[in-house]
Amino acid sequence: MLAKIRDLRNNPHLLFVRLPNLLSLTCIVVGVVWLLLLPLNEYSRQTYISENALLPGQVHAYFSGSEQNVFRGYKKELEGLLNEGRDQGVPPAEAGQTPAVSSKIQSILQAAGLKVATQKYEYTSAGITHEGENVYAIIHAPRGDATEAIVLVAAWKTANNELNLNGVTLALTLARYFKRWSLWSKDIIFVITPDSKSGTQAWIDAYHDMHPASVQPLPLKSGALQGALVIEYPFDHRFQSLHVVYDGVNGQLPNLDLFNTAVAIANNQMGIGSNLQEMWEHDDSYQARLQTILRGMAKQGLGYATGAHSSFMPYHIDAITLQPKGEGWEDEMALGRTIESICRSLNNLLEHLHQSFFFYLLMQSNRFVSIGTYLPSAMLLAGNFTIMAIALWMRTGYYTGTSSTAPAIAGDKKEKPSSKKVTSGKPVADVKLKESGVAERQLALPLTLVVGLHLLGLIPLWLFNTLPHQYLPTSAYAFVIVDIVLPLVLAALLSHGLGLSAPIIPQQYHLIKSFSLLLLGLSLSTLATLNFSLSFMVGLLCAPLSFIERLQSPSKPVRSTISGIGFLCLNLLSPPSALLGVCWYTGVSVETVLTQAAFGWDVWGVWTQVVVWCVWWPAWLIGCVLLGASMF
Amino acid sequence: MSVDRRKIAVFSAAFVLRLVLICLFPSLPDLLTGRVEVSTPVNSFKRLQEGLFLYTRNVSPYDGGVFHQAPLLLPLFALLPEAQFHPLPTAIFYIFVDLVNAQALATISESGQSVKSRLHSAIRKHIRWDGVSVAAWFLFNPFTIATCLARSTSVFTASGILFAVSNAVSGNTVNSMLALGFASYLSLYPALLFVPLVLLCFDQRAQGQSQVPNVALFVIQHGAMLVGSVSALLGLSYLITGNFWEFMSATYGFHLLVPDLTPNSGLWWYFFIEMFDSFREFFLGVFWLHLASYVGGLTTRLRRQPLFVITSLLGVFAIFKPYPSISDASLFLALLPLYRHLFPLMRYTFFAISAILYSSLLGPAFYHLWIYAGSGNANFFYAITLVWSLGLSILLADAVFAAIRDEWEQEHPESQGQEVKQV
Repeated sequence: MLAKIRDLRNNPHLLFVRLPNLLSLTCIVVGVVWLLLLPLNEYSRQTYISENALLPGQVHAYFSGSEQNVFRGYKKELEGLLNEGRDQGVPPAEAGQTPAVSSKIQSILQAAGLKVATQKYEYTSAGITHEGENVYAIIHAPRGDATEAIVLVAAWKTANNELNLNGVTLALTLARYFKRWSLWSKDIIFVITPDSKSGTQAWIDAYHDMHPASVQPLPLKSGALQGALVIEYPFDHRFQSLHVVYDGVNGQLPNLDLFNTAVAIANNQMGIGSNLQEMWEHDDSYQARLQTILRGMAKQGLGYATGAHSSFMPYHIDAITLQPKGEGWEDEMALGRTIESICRSLNNLLEHLHQSFFFYLLMQSNRFVSIGTYLPSAMLLAGNFTIMAIALWMRTGYYTGTSSTAPAIAGDKKEKPSSKKVTSGKPVADVKLKESGVAERQLALPLTLVVGLHLLGLIPLWLFNTLPHQYLPTSAYAFVIVDIVLPLVLAALLSHGLGLSAPIIPQQYHLIKSFSLLLLGLSLSTLATLNFSLSFMVGLLCAPLSFIERLQSPSKPVRSTISGIGFLCLNLLSPPSALLGVCWYTGVSVETVLTQAAFGWDVWGVWTQVVVWCVWWPAWLIGCVLLGASMF
Repeated sequence: MSVDRRKIAVFSAAFVLRLVLICLFPSLPDLLTGRVEVSTPVNSFKRLQEGLFLYTRNVSPYDGGVFHQAPLLLPLFALLPEAQFHPLPTAIFYIFVDLVNAQALATISESGQSVKSRLHSAIRKHIRWDGVSVAAWFLFNPFTIATCLARSTSVFTASGILFAVSNAVSGNTVNSMLALGFASYLSLYPALLFVPLVLLCFDQRAQGQSQVPNVALFVIQHGAMLVGSVSALLGLSYLITGNFWEFMSATYGFHLLVPDLTPNSGLWWYFFIEMFDSFREFFLGVFWLHLASYVGGLTTRLRRQPLFVITSLLGVFAIFKPYPSISDASLFLALLPLYRHLFPLMRYTFFAISAILYSSLLGPAFYHLWIYAGSGNANFFYAITLVWSLGLSILLADAVFAAIRDEWEQEHPESQGQEVKQV
């Protein structure tokens, strides 16, 4: 046994080539299996309210009875104005944005005794202009000092672009109702925005004085925002359950306590069911739980805003959207009571929500896994690249083949590329010998290439975020072509020595791969702490890169065939091909996705693109270059 | 002539790169100026601007407790147009300081002092980079670029130190002491470099002459020069500020007593936040003593290579200073390539560099989680500053190990392995 281990130490091929491959593969497999284990009862936990001050559902909600009449009255008035607008030829999508509707809302809020203000905004992205006017009003807390506030948002257009008449009406009714209570210790701000995409973003940016020039500042402000609720009710019939949407921009999540409070109040106090991640039929089976997790991860990974609440998250304001779903017997009053109860809970808060988790994966409205449990899976995926990078580094230093005794220090010219052979019999002598026999590494070219290609990623990043929307699909297709041509050109250039006097030696190919994987591992493990899902997805898509290298051994035709096939397969995994593939699979048009992505970059501050073009794409490109180099 | 052309290419590329970064991303300098990893209370450009504002309006710049830098910087920057409205002249000034520093580095490298000094001659002399490569490593180091763009005043301290060394290796001992006096006047801690620097000057002097000068006399002479230059600068500062003790306590008192515990990449802030106040004075003493104790130990052990002592001390400062920033690390990393011949003896370079890279990515991420996202806390960032210091310490310890092994191999030629004999 001992002898075997000693053999292992003396077999550099095993130590520097086989073992790292094995370790990397193990990391990837364990990382994926880890994620698959999470839905099991042993690894997930029951949710619980961590912040005791919240006391969800401990108060009676009085929003009922005569308030329903007020609701109907407001709805009638607004409906009349909407119909008028429709008769004048305002498109249904813009129905909530007419000056008549805006002034009606202002007058209703003013009549209820609130301070009202408006804010105009305009954003331009991918050649499309988004503009509108936010109306908002503040109830000053009778028992507070205007240092803290809760926000209630109703957008005229819901996240799914439906007309949110009932939601807006409910917000107005609640404003009138809340104003009459004397128990508020935090200000309550009602924000009525034209749409879910840009309205809240403009408002919250201006609230923190971070708005661009095209957005007006807010004339009226309150204290630090403690939480935000978005109300949607885009249909006229009664509903069955509440769908809680919680994903923020860039995969940031609200404190789990807020989600738990909403679920606890809906389920226990009101008796309304709750869903998440569009899982309407959740039977609590393994498959359903896994599917919920994966849907959550997909949204988190892409990092786009899933509703009006998402814009609050970057400012560390916990926010959720409540969407009534299904056909049932719950009416708008039940939704109103739920919101009242959540507001009462938030009103109880003594300090900002901080007790519970900020990093979690939900698999059911009452089950979750926390970061400590799930993070290792993404870290293992990222770690596999680092392991490979370290192994390649050591290999370039120690294992250039022991046949030529210490080519190292003597100089570069003595180093023969062909000396990379497996010598099994001869031991590598003692440690001291190895230590001083470190080969000289030629770092200049690999470093320049890797850094240069990472900087090259800025070009597509800039292109895809500035081009007008009609050119976006064309440029995506163009990039598929570029991704085929560019690696081959680079590989040909490298193989022919770039016109330098010294030829490129295999060591430098290893170093190129080592640096590229090191950077990839670095970025992904950093990313895993910020956006676990994105790191996991990119890590998985990049996993083949660990095992790709420049082929040397077989004869040229075999080599060309193998690398050609590999090259094609790898091209299927390139960022633009992956995008086109996903678009084709989901049936969404490429233009919509890219326009949305550009909008996210310009307005929401989404940085998924940076990861794609400055982390994933360069790493992928280098993998392709290495594979392409075996053809020449 | 071709060497010169290379140098011109490297220097102009560095110049253009910095200028392009500033012009393409106009918000980048201000962003970097606000980063805690780059700007500390004692080198922040923002604080300098505050001091400048007060100074140009005839108020004492140290009123308000924001500005803690040397007063002589104020008239210098008062000459430049206001950076807020005309950022380019200031930026170009900083770029020139960087280039001048790189020139000093090239001089140090070309003197060959790092491989062959009076008492020591390295075994692997032929493995070395020329001055231009060393300057290029300095100029294209992202940490140097970030420091330059952030307009941190540490670059002036760095020039002081680099000029002190470059003058010492060229034999201008007086200029060397004046430059060290300038650096010490700006940041206090470079005064600790006096001992190895004076030894370097001494070796240089002794090498040129047939008879070795008197050591004690030499040290006293140069010590007097250092004290003289610092006092002259302090006298000038007194003329500027008019209140001697106010500026002394606001600058050197601030360096010594570490009252501002804003997070930075060092090890002090967290420790002193956590500490009970009654232990503060004691641990201040311990921390400073710890920092200063390296001078004696390293100088004694590596007496034959004073330039290496300076290099490793700069590494120690980058780790254990009260207000370290990436500019200190960049200075250490700038001098390290002079010891290219030791690289083959170093064992953990890749791991150390990886740790440094990891922490320079994770640091901002965790700082974001702590300060902006609110989902992390101070321990996140502190953990990363520990990793950062660990990476630098490994690199430093490895370099010292390699230097000692190099000396040892010289003393014991019979113990060298086969491989080494080939060289």
